[in-house]
Amino acid sequence: MQRKLISGISGILIALLIGAVIMLFQGYEPLQTYGALFNFSLFGLFPLATTLRNSVPLILTGLSASVAFASGPINLGQPGQLLMGALFATVGGLYLDLPPWLLIPVLLLLSMLGGALWSGVAAMLRKWFNMDEFITTLMLNMIADFFTYWAISYPFFDRSAYSPMTPQINLNGWLPIWGEFNSNVLVMILAFVVIYFVFNRLTAGYEWRITGQNSLFARLGGIKIDKNYVTVMLVTGALAGLAGGLVVMAGPHRFLKGLGANYAWDGVMIAVVANSGLWATLLYGLFFSAMQTGSLGMELITAVPREFIQVLQAVTVLVVVAGRGYLDILFDKTIARRKARERTV
Amino acid sequence: MQVLIEMKDIIKVFPPNVVAVDNVTTDFRKGEIHAIVGENGAGKSTLMKVFYGLEQFNQGEIRYLGQTVRFQEPGEAIARGIGMVHQEILLIPQYTVWENIVLGAEPINFLGVIDRQRARQMVQSKIDEFQFNLDIDAKVDDISVAARQKVEILKLLYRNVSVLILDEPTAVLTPQEIPQLFNELRRLRDHGHTILFISHHLEEVLTLSDRITVMRKGKKIATVQAEETTKEELAEMMVGRAVLFTSHREKSNPGMEVFSIENLTYVDGTHHTRLENINFHVREGELVGIAGVEGNGQFELVNSIMGLIRVTQGKISVNGFDITNAEILERRRYISFVSQDRGKMGAAVKASILENVMMTHHRLNPDFTTWKGLILNDQFARQFTRQIEQQFAVVMGNQDNPFRSLSGGNQQKVILGRELLLDTPFLLLDQPTRGLDVGSIEYVHETILKMRELKRAILLISADLEELFRIADRILVLHRGKIAADLPTDQTNIEQIGYLMLEGKEKNLAKEAN
Amino acid sequence: MNIFTGLINGMISGATPILLAALGGTFTFYAGIFNIAMEGMMLAGAFFAVLGSYYFNSWLMGILCAILGALLMALIFILFAVTLKTDEFVTGIALNLFALGATTYLMRQIFNVKGAFSNPGIVPIPRIHIPLLAKVPFLGEILSGQNLIVYLTIVVVFLSAFIIFKTRFGLRLRAAGYNAPSLDSSGVPSASIRTWSLIICGILCGLAGAFLSLGYVTLFSENMSAGRGWISLAAVILVNGNPWGIALISLLFGFTDGLGLLLQQYMPSQFTSMVPYIATLIALYFYSIQARKRKA
Repeated sequence: MQRKLISGISGILIALLIGAVIMLFQGYEPLQTYGALFNFSLFGLFPLATTLRNSVPLILTGLSASVAFASGPINLGQPGQLLMGALFATVGGLYLDLPPWLLIPVLLLLSMLGGALWSGVAAMLRKWFNMDEFITTLMLNMIADFFTYWAISYPFFDRSAYSPMTPQINLNGWLPIWGEFNSNVLVMILAFVVIYFVFNRLTAGYEWRITGQNSLFARLGGIKIDKNYVTVMLVTGALAGLAGGLVVMAGPHRFLKGLGANYAWDGVMIAVVANSGLWATLLYGLFFSAMQTGSLGMELITAVPREFIQVLQAVTVLVVVAGRGYLDILFDKTIARRKARERTV
Repeated sequence: MQVLIEMKDIIKVFPPNVVAVDNVTTDFRKGEIHAIVGENGAGKSTLMKVFYGLEQFNQGEIRYLGQTVRFQEPGEAIARGIGMVHQEILLIPQYTVWENIVLGAEPINFLGVIDRQRARQMVQSKIDEFQFNLDIDAKVDDISVAARQKVEILKLLYRNVSVLILDEPTAVLTPQEIPQLFNELRRLRDHGHTILFISHHLEEVLTLSDRITVMRKGKKIATVQAEETTKEELAEMMVGRAVLFTSHREKSNPGMEVFSIENLTYVDGTHHTRLENINFHVREGELVGIAGVEGNGQFELVNSIMGLIRVTQGKISVNGFDITNAEILERRRYISFVSQDRGKMGAAVKASILENVMMTHHRLNPDFTTWKGLILNDQFARQFTRQIEQQFAVVMGNQDNPFRSLSGGNQQKVILGRELLLDTPFLLLDQPTRGLDVGSIEYVHETILKMRELKRAILLISADLEELFRIADRILVLHRGKIAADLPTDQTNIEQIGYLMLEGKEKNLAKEAN
Repeated sequence: MNIFTGLINGMISGATPILLAALGGTFTFYAGIFNIAMEGMMLAGAFFAVLGSYYFNSWLMGILCAILGALLMALIFILFAVTLKTDEFVTGIALNLFALGATTYLMRQIFNVKGAFSNPGIVPIPRIHIPLLAKVPFLGEILSGQNLIVYLTIVVVFLSAFIIFKTRFGLRLRAAGYNAPSLDSSGVPSASIRTWSLIICGILCGLAGAFLSLGYVTLFSENMSAGRGWISLAAVILVNGNPWGIALISLLFGFTDGLGLLLQQYMPSQFTSMVPYIATLIALYFYSIQARKRKA
């Protein structure tokens, strides 16, 4: 636990340092830039609320990837599953007329269904034809991208709009907003609690975890790994789909072109940097959301382009992950060296 | 004789704190066969690896040909004429014999293209020089283990190595193949090569070597002349106490038939018949051993019993239930299984001890869960883990520590505990003592014999013939997927079983056929 | 223009970037590296190709910069995956993200545009007209007048097969993938072989990127590699790294690319754009069926 914290915090600090060097190189003021970045994401009610709201799709796709990786399946399909979830929720919101207390849960379920359906395709391809989900989910991402693009350009196109998008969904399907805070955060917290409980306390979660660590051992122990594989794919697809539904229901209330582009690889990225730990996924999700949220303000104040944050994120991932492995080796080596010296006669 | 290698106060600590070599001072002379003996984990391989540059030593000094040396990688050692043949054979199965031999020192033409003609010629001349009998164009995948070992040795001779280090070379050989290897090694010594030979088989050490260094728990105990010592003396130095070489096995009186295999055949995807018409049974209170050279169907036999592969034909049953095509969980109601590779089949090493202990029980024992099996009962699992800790004398520490933080012996005790407490009528043990130290091996054997007294039916697969002779009631020999013999232990001997393992038939029968 | 020659020319230009990246991937495949960073290397190549071509007004400098840009990505991969022993999958993911972020950022920073940068100042890589061949009816339209990189790619296919199967480097390369400890104990550090394979992969992905932004089209747009790196990875896996197989399968993907363009007259472009990805899935299906037959 302590090592994880040390490697996480030192990794982030080193990444920020590297970022500062890049900025200095380009003639920007690092301290001012980071000041602006975190001013516009953490300090104050509105920035904090925005960071929280933006963190929802990051954390949910992150959880999706983390649960998948920790249980075995290399589900890289969060982008596609998110898009399908968003499309399902949008279509439901366009055609269903229910009171809010019913419509909101229905749309959330629909988005989960959309995501699960899309990950289910990959799961079936693996189950029936033994096709590697690692590549099929990637291909399905591209296919979902074009498919939803088509859906919002033709069948669900808003005729009053100039670029591909759907009309706004039924007002009853909009997530309530209290002051600055969007209730999508509540849905995310609920999803986190449920997933945390399933993963850590349920018999099924135990089997997923052990299968992720050593599937042969799990199989010999009597665990039905094929069945669990499909379940995990469906659950993680549903999580990514939920992220998509929430994006629509909390934000633009419609499916815009390029809706998923912002979250394309963020889920996988967060799971990787969090080493598939659930708490770590939550924390890194918040951290990356803070960076992304603050980037607009940063650009405004210091003229450092917003895209710089993408570079910084990738650097953070590399440094934290490399540091994690390296720190362990370093710790062990130091202890060994001390011990050898004690032995010398 | 001239001193070739001197080691002074060598210390090697494996991170974080395993002292593998502890202040070892010794020397090796030119042109001798020098054996290094000790139990598993005594530090003999590590000592050689730090010399060879595969591992770095922490303290001490090594002198070679009078010069202080510290090889950073094996390449440097090879350049100085030192070569090592590892315990696990390090060849590339996809390549031919000659490709494996020249790899890393290939003759090339000006374009960087390998000069096949010259390479094959150079390899062939080495083979002829040392009278090794090898086909240089055979794929390594297709040749026997003994032949692969020759390739490893030739690979070093091709590089003009004069010091050969061999790490337990006989472990992979059958009793009949060993003399041939020893003759080749003696021939090498007579050509002026120096041979350092790691082993824990005392008899072969005594027949082959000139001098013997004994190690125990990382320390050097002594270096002795081979002709001036005895097996008993060496064993006492190795283990630290007097060792009895006789087994005190009580005669068993088996009861009802528990486990049986009828007409079992398995043909794999490449249409190779891996198991052919296997028939045997194990009765309650009976310990049946399976001997055989690795790769003769043991793996497939275990996999078909456990349900990892679907057998082509035949029937497997326990207590009269046909489990041939049963789900694995269903089989586990009747079968306890200890695998040969703890990290691959026996445990999830990064998961906690607790999580490893729960496996299978969590589905078969309702006490491990609540809410109709939905939610884990943490309290019960912890109590159960404590039970294993006490009953099997495990040095465990915190149950939430990762499984790999346990020592090898303790890992095996935890696995044994988990499997034996499943309370099944049949135990399948696949090399349960592999890689354990003598104390742990003794413990495992005692536990197995205790289970036999409790009327369990036990099938023990082992590569260690001494182990089989110590505890098995009957020995079956597996050869090329067939059962070549089924003999009561007290009516056979190691030589006979060894011959059967290699040839698949009795010696005298073979003579008659000639 | 004849539909048929159009289809074939579409196939060739569709296949070229995939083939180049896949040949790069085959070197790392044989070296035993799980390299999923071709996408990022290609993207970096595409960006730096435009940068070089625009600033030096020279396509040659464009190609050179593309190679250097992709090499930079390869060096980062080497630093983390080979030197620091970070997980290869993780390194690949992070590198792809880094390439995407860095090119988007640099486009904004250097050219001050978002989305895409196109400018008459970008010099495309020329097409080569082969004097005699061009006059041959039908064949001339296909064999002559292709982009320089296309001809280069053909050479690279032969060269790759030669290097991998005939030379000393090839023997060691394959050994690193089959059994690295064996190579190490033979006195050849497998880490150095891995490093070299990644450098070669970087160079070839750089060329692939240059073709994308200076051959296929003459502009750079955000994320313009669009999954081609992943398709080339699939191609490598499908044929177990064999260069000839890769050439064949890349042509197949190129064909679906061309087919997609052709089909645009009959259905929405969104569906035709899916064709290469669906084709990859179908190819994987056949591969898996074959693999299962071999195993079961």
